[in-house]
Amino acid sequence: MSGSTEKMELNINLTAAAEKRLQELVKRYPSAKSAVMPALSLAQEELGWVTDQAVAWVSNRLNLPRSHVREVATFYTMYYKKPVGKYHIQICRTLSCYLCGAQELSKYLRQRFRLTPGEISSDGMWSWEEVECLGSCGTAPMAEINDCYFEKLTSDALGQLLDRIEREQPDLRYSTIVGALGGGLKGHPKSEVWTRDEGL
Amino acid sequence: MSETQLVNITIDGKQISVPKGMNIIEAARLVGVEIPHYCYHPHLSVAGNCRMCQVRIEGQPKLNIACNTGAADGMVIKTQEAAPEVAEAQRATLEFLLINHPLDCTVCDQAGHCKLQDYYYDYNAKASRFIENKVRKVKAEVLGPEIIYDGERCIVCTRCVRFCDEITETSELGVFNRGDHAVIGVSEGQALDNPLAGSVVDLCPVGALTHRRWRFNTRIWYTDQQQSVCGGCSTGCNAQVNLRDGKVVQVKARLNAEVNQEWMCDEGRYGFERFQPESRLQSPQIWQGKEYAPIKLEDALNATQKLVGAGSTGAMLLSPFLTLEETWIALEYATKVMGLDAKSDQTENIQVAVQLVQRPLTKVEAVLISPDYAPNARAFNLLGHALAGNDWRATIQKNYEALLQRVRSGQIKKLFIVGDYALRAVDLDPQLRSALQALECFVATSAAGLDCEGPQNFAQVVLPGRTINEKGGVLVNKDLRLQRLNVLLQAPAGTYPEWSLIKRMAVAAKQPIVGEQVNDERALFREMVVKREIFKGLSLMKIGESGLSLAELQKLASESGTVVANA
Amino acid sequence: MSKQHKKILTNNIDFADQHQLAAYESRGGYQAARKALKMEPDAIIAEVKASGLRGRGGAGFPTGVKWGFVPKNTGKPIYLLNNADESEPGTFKDRVLMERDPHLCLEGMIIAAKALGAHWSAIYIRGEYAYPATRIQQAIDQCYAKGYLGKGIFGTDFQLDIVMHRGAGAYICGEETGLIESLEGKKGQPRIKPPFPAVFGLYGCPTVVNNTETLATLPWIIENGAAEYIKFGTEKSPGTKLTSASGHINKPGVYEIELGYPVMDFINNECGGIRGGRNLKGLIVGGSSVAVLRGDELPPLNMSYESMAEAGTALGSGGFMVMDDTVDMVEACLNLQHFYSHESCGQCTPCREGAHWVEKIVHRIHAGQGTAADLPLIEDVCTQIAGHTICPFGDALVVPVRSFIEKYGEEFQNRIDSAIVSQIGGVSVGNAR
Repeated sequence: MSGSTEKMELNINLTAAAEKRLQELVKRYPSAKSAVMPALSLAQEELGWVTDQAVAWVSNRLNLPRSHVREVATFYTMYYKKPVGKYHIQICRTLSCYLCGAQELSKYLRQRFRLTPGEISSDGMWSWEEVECLGSCGTAPMAEINDCYFEKLTSDALGQLLDRIEREQPDLRYSTIVGALGGGLKGHPKSEVWTRDEGL
Repeated sequence: MSETQLVNITIDGKQISVPKGMNIIEAARLVGVEIPHYCYHPHLSVAGNCRMCQVRIEGQPKLNIACNTGAADGMVIKTQEAAPEVAEAQRATLEFLLINHPLDCTVCDQAGHCKLQDYYYDYNAKASRFIENKVRKVKAEVLGPEIIYDGERCIVCTRCVRFCDEITETSELGVFNRGDHAVIGVSEGQALDNPLAGSVVDLCPVGALTHRRWRFNTRIWYTDQQQSVCGGCSTGCNAQVNLRDGKVVQVKARLNAEVNQEWMCDEGRYGFERFQPESRLQSPQIWQGKEYAPIKLEDALNATQKLVGAGSTGAMLLSPFLTLEETWIALEYATKVMGLDAKSDQTENIQVAVQLVQRPLTKVEAVLISPDYAPNARAFNLLGHALAGNDWRATIQKNYEALLQRVRSGQIKKLFIVGDYALRAVDLDPQLRSALQALECFVATSAAGLDCEGPQNFAQVVLPGRTINEKGGVLVNKDLRLQRLNVLLQAPAGTYPEWSLIKRMAVAAKQPIVGEQVNDERALFREMVVKREIFKGLSLMKIGESGLSLAELQKLASESGTVVANA
Repeated sequence: MSKQHKKILTNNIDFADQHQLAAYESRGGYQAARKALKMEPDAIIAEVKASGLRGRGGAGFPTGVKWGFVPKNTGKPIYLLNNADESEPGTFKDRVLMERDPHLCLEGMIIAAKALGAHWSAIYIRGEYAYPATRIQQAIDQCYAKGYLGKGIFGTDFQLDIVMHRGAGAYICGEETGLIESLEGKKGQPRIKPPFPAVFGLYGCPTVVNNTETLATLPWIIENGAAEYIKFGTEKSPGTKLTSASGHINKPGVYEIELGYPVMDFINNECGGIRGGRNLKGLIVGGSSVAVLRGDELPPLNMSYESMAEAGTALGSGGFMVMDDTVDMVEACLNLQHFYSHESCGQCTPCREGAHWVEKIVHRIHAGQGTAADLPLIEDVCTQIAGHTICPFGDALVVPVRSFIEKYGEEFQNRIDSAIVSQIGGVSVGNAR
């Protein structure tokens, strides 16, 4: 879907930290245009999703046509074209996770939240969708919530996880400004891909 | 750069020698084979996404796309004419394009000149095997003041996007979303509104991009299609004008690598009818002290003789909207009948000038538009006048302004203005206006009627002329290229082309320039060719639909022994 | 009983502090890089060629040969890109390397950059791998702090900058020209070839794109020599490979195995056999883009490029997905076709339109609305997609559906037959829309 053709000026600024970070990121590349992707991540981080103003901001700061920026924003699944919940749950649906019970997780979410993929709960806390292979097939089924992986799930485990998240309100996001993951869920492993029960 | 190397290639068994690296689609044309294609365009970068132009090249493991293949020595190519697997691939490409394509033909403006329809009949013509639900996308989306888009019809060939990126460099368009949700669009708060925007409709092979102002106005098969040239400026974009019931209903740019590639500006494309005045002069008029009275042509011609007839000196002002032949015969009249010096470049002595006013251009406009409103001013140069200096526009304009100044100051007492737009409204400043009104000898030809602003309001005798849309002949563009102008609109009764008026005026002056038998534009052209060395060997056919460059004209003249009698 | 595979990539991976520079170095890290920086670039390339190392991303192209395509003396900068966009379903091995041994990844890049004459390099990490990205960025920061990246590294005048670049969710960015386009700041749509990346890559300059695992193998090869490397594996598939095993097995995970290892041994030993004691119905050995194998086809096969090629499939990325006899193969096939539809970049006609068409037909068969024309139609559509697209994605997307129909044709046919039967008499019984 295209934008409206009414003229729209850029009328936002991001925080000083984000603006500064963009300049740092631009310097890393031989060509400033390469910073489009981290720039969109910065904008999404502050605004919650990639709004039309976010596109205009990136276009202005990197001196690129808005159409090019919008092309990039609509091509990649991690740039949200509409708002998502504070916690956005992404259930992997591809083969290995499917083989290990991913559909149970989706079913659980539908029942718990009464939301379909794309909707946000009325308190703005939750939204969910099914995504393609997240590279965690060995610890299937699993979900990514914001930028953190939660592996080896069952419906029960997922339920308990969501309860904890609701209670503790952890930071599960990767911040492009800081260049690091948030604190995550306390005590919960950041990754379980190499946990060995018996060693090698 | 080194000389272009020629290589030998074989296409469908036919051998041909072409420059190394020549695009295979272009090379195939040379042996009369059309390789169907959508995304390829000779004046845009290669995209290679439609896959319609696949060919079999000996020695290659898979089919190759012809648009991304350059001729190499010994290459053996088979197109759909010679290789069934290529024909099958084309059939499949069309099938793929059609599975989600909406059944819009009955309401789509592109029907009848649609490359999907055309290629379907040529390369597929089979029933669809698709029984799933088609993808739905946006329809009738306004992209800009002139352009409307249908996402379901779009085949995402990206010609329009590349045009805006590479030619106008305005980059309004992008392809958004991935996979079969891909659509073309503008970004929020932007519009496809560059001065050449209408060109994307010509580029679009299907009915995804259409003109808003001409939407649904006619089926293409009800139109008469006339090849001609735009009269907006000295670029001379090649155009195809579609007419119905005597009105312009659509204009497409024609492909011409030397002039306009395949682009036109919106002002030219949508503005053919701006040269038609609101009211027309349909009989000669003579000023009788308080008002004009219509008179018979014979009487008008006699009246002109007293004013600007034989041996009258004074001045002549030419419109840049006359044809080459008209400019020629007007100059003959000026020099031979009026006894004017048309060669002088001395501002104190200018007696003959062509109107030219320069026009400032934005960067995007300058991609195609010339900084003038003068489609045929250079005919003056070609015929040997106003040749001083390096900047032809500056010279012509200087002479023109000098002549006007001489009129203002009263130095010029007799004036013959030939053709509309010889004076523009901006030139009619009060001083010039009163000077014109004070002239005792003043004749003008005009298509515009008496209630339109222009010299026809002040002349003592006004002869009814025609607009550039109502004439045929040759125009000379900014590069001194000869191009054919063809008649588009029918002139109203009572009007005459300027050349015909001048012919009769010369006869009335007892100094005919061309014989009685010169009754139409072709005959006039032939007369001009016979009488001028530079046109030796020239014929209308040789100018053809793509025009003739100055170099080619000169080559013709030097190679021709005898003058060609038949055009 | 279990074979002790040589550990080339995972030798230190159990150490909890392996990602820290000091710990990495204490276990011999960056010795290979120091050695490489004193070698002639051509000598490094020769060593890698002699090792027979093949690209571990999926294509299996000999790495040394790929490096040889880069023209020297064009006057343009040369770029080395680490393809960490790991998105092939079933594959999660590069993730382990990045999380647990990020310095190994960087050391491999330094060696490759020296061989190629590259002074700017990027590691393109898929956007969803946020945790691995933090590990890599931390490792890069540690290297810069210690002068192991930047100007004049390891006491030579060699300069190398490495940038960590995150993707944003697009499988097609794992295709090398798609990756390059994405890194340039555009959509990750693959380029038409020619020109090839070795000549015209990032910013129009000569570029080499290598998989993370491939690059991570370089330090060991430089340290120990190609002659040592070819002692492991087979003649055509030397060395070891990380295999990511998942699905209906008892011990899913990443395993480093010597190439040539029998498939059934791998399943029964390392993977711990089929869960619940069930039967093995199907195996996808190298990521979803390689043909599925039936359980009964497996005994003669071993984990090597040649054995898999002979069996009509490919070793691929090593994304080893095991399916037991509870799996509905039509549904499994549909699952994968949906993946490909979702990931099609949309640039060229056969893939953009054909990928979804194939999925829709399989969907309809699965939903009990198949027709007798469907299977021949699928085959015909696949024939017109494969080999007709801009990039190998078109060839990949037809593999699951073709191989599933070939190996489990009766399941598809039964679905279609019962759909037809249920429509006799004009009454459609069963799944409503």
